[in-house]
Amino acid sequence: MEERETVLSVRDLNIKFSLRGRTLHAIRDVSLDLYKGESLAIVGESGSGKSVFVKSFMGLLDANGWVDSGEILYGGEDLTKYSTEKQWLKVRGKEIAMVLQDPMTSLNPLKTIGAQIMEAVELHQNLRGEAARREMLSVLTDVGISEPERRAKQYPHEFSGGMRQRVVIAIAVACRPKILICDEPTTALDVTIQAQILSLIRSLKSKYDLTTVYITHDLGVVANVADRIAVMYAGDIVEIGLCEEVFYQPKHPYTWALLSSLPQLGVKGEPLYSIHGTPPNLFGEVKGDAFAPRNPRALKIDFVKRPPYFEVSPTHKARTWLLDPRAPKIEPPEAVRKLATEGVKGYA
Amino acid sequence: MLKYSLKRLSSSFLTLLIIISVVFVLLRQMPIEGYFDNFEKADEAMIQAKLNQLGLNDPIPVQLLNFFKDLLHGDLGTSARYSVGAPIAGIIAKKAPLSIKMGVLSMALSLVLGIPLGAAMAKGKGKFWDKFGTVYIVFINAVPAAVYYIFIQLYGTSFLGIPMLFDEANPVTWILPVFSMSLGNVAYYAMWLRRYMVDELNKDYVRLARAKGVSGKNIMMKHVLRNAFVPMIQYIPTSLLYTVCGSIYIESLYSIPGMGGLLVDVIGRQDNPMVQAIVMIYSCIGIVGLLLGDLLMGLIDPRISFVKKEGAR
Repeated sequence: MEERETVLSVRDLNIKFSLRGRTLHAIRDVSLDLYKGESLAIVGESGSGKSVFVKSFMGLLDANGWVDSGEILYGGEDLTKYSTEKQWLKVRGKEIAMVLQDPMTSLNPLKTIGAQIMEAVELHQNLRGEAARREMLSVLTDVGISEPERRAKQYPHEFSGGMRQRVVIAIAVACRPKILICDEPTTALDVTIQAQILSLIRSLKSKYDLTTVYITHDLGVVANVADRIAVMYAGDIVEIGLCEEVFYQPKHPYTWALLSSLPQLGVKGEPLYSIHGTPPNLFGEVKGDAFAPRNPRALKIDFVKRPPYFEVSPTHKARTWLLDPRAPKIEPPEAVRKLATEGVKGYA
Repeated sequence: MLKYSLKRLSSSFLTLLIIISVVFVLLRQMPIEGYFDNFEKADEAMIQAKLNQLGLNDPIPVQLLNFFKDLLHGDLGTSARYSVGAPIAGIIAKKAPLSIKMGVLSMALSLVLGIPLGAAMAKGKGKFWDKFGTVYIVFINAVPAAVYYIFIQLYGTSFLGIPMLFDEANPVTWILPVFSMSLGNVAYYAMWLRRYMVDELNKDYVRLARAKGVSGKNIMMKHVLRNAFVPMIQYIPTSLLYTVCGSIYIESLYSIPGMGGLLVDVIGRQDNPMVQAIVMIYSCIGIVGLLLGDLLMGLIDPRISFVKKEGAR
């Protein structure tokens, strides 16, 4: 893979939350490089920290959370050093914009959608009055809303879920960001609308020259849009690689388990695969490999020592002892091997 | 909007008719002494003559119909004991303007104090203003108003040197009663505004506004405060109108010749026609307040649809 320009670089990030006097270690030593123009998907189950991770890029952590150590380098500055709202306002929207999960609630119900898009246009493009209005209408057209003149005067409740998500995307794009973060952009939508929204984001990505980050637990979404996949578990990226690498040559047992849970890989008549147990409690210190207690084939060392990253290829690495030369040879489960050889209809 | 307003208006009107009828019928059950200023001295013939003259021996539906007819001409009847023979409408018209002035002033004051207090409480949840406001609200709700009214009068007059009694021509004497009257509403507005603002602050659109780079101050002013105001709007006309009716206790405390003490006064004197008229006026005010609140809500909240009931929201 050719040398690519890094737009955002996270180094050994640790994020903690204080909850009722206890400290929760939500993000544990995560490093990540985001390349210009790429489309990265961060996958993981609920509570794995994927949302918290990206929120920290914009200083949007809840009041009880803080970056404990590590760096987030963007444009030559370390965002973790930002302390005032004024500093963050230079980043929010302007550099990094976000599409939230639930379009039904993420628009202000009492403002016309035109006004809400205008707000972003005025803040970030320095346009006022008629020029701002024209820009707003053109963004509305870009996200595929017909009759923008009329629609701009309407309120969110007059739009369907899919249409509202288009408006939310329009707001994000109207900020003219460099990075667009889509936090589960299709989770709350109808299946038939999901594909439309994804292809819309993809076309906007090339039109506006965006770098996109998707957060999702839907591997179908990932396969559709991602160049690279980062698999997150218990506040850590356990495996990261190109889309094909993670789908066809997964190395981490958690990735195996995740892929095996794809309903499409199930055998008809048999119960679908599910991962037993629950994710570890992040209030305490996690010992060894966080996934070990749920991994039926965990090695002894998995319970003792946290694995480092092992490089599979220049673009693919995983945090598992299985990649250590001394480790026993453990084959991925049947379903994952099947995926590698046959693929799944509709995926990758 | 027009269709809805008319519909809402006609239903309010119907409610009003029902209330008036009920009040009217109930008051017919009162002892007939309430129609005389000299009942003890009157003999049976005089009593019957007077009752006939007043039409009180007619069947109740006829009486009610006559009453409505008079009402159309703005005639509320005449006072029987409070101010013998004087038209009730005239008595009220003389007293109401002062109460209205005072009510509007105290309302304005309570909005000016209550809204910023509520906003400050929501903004710094758990911080100084929130704690201060909570203490204040609990105090106002827990301590009987009469207690702090008296203290305000006591210390206001002794420390600030403000005259004890109200004098319409002397603006300084307006301060204490208006201030006292607004205290309750300040607590009320602050409490509800805080609550609605905290609700709004936790909504997703606030997160999206932050994510798109709107400053905290603008989120508060342009999004949260405005949206939190919508549910408050519907209470404002009602509370305005009730303030306008005058505070019974404050008006008597400062000897304000308003209409606040009037109802208690006429009930004490058993002046049936006046009780009837005043109760009716109060119910009208309540209904008009609710109506205005609903209409205002409709004007401000685009989600309230006046046209059709069907369709998902």
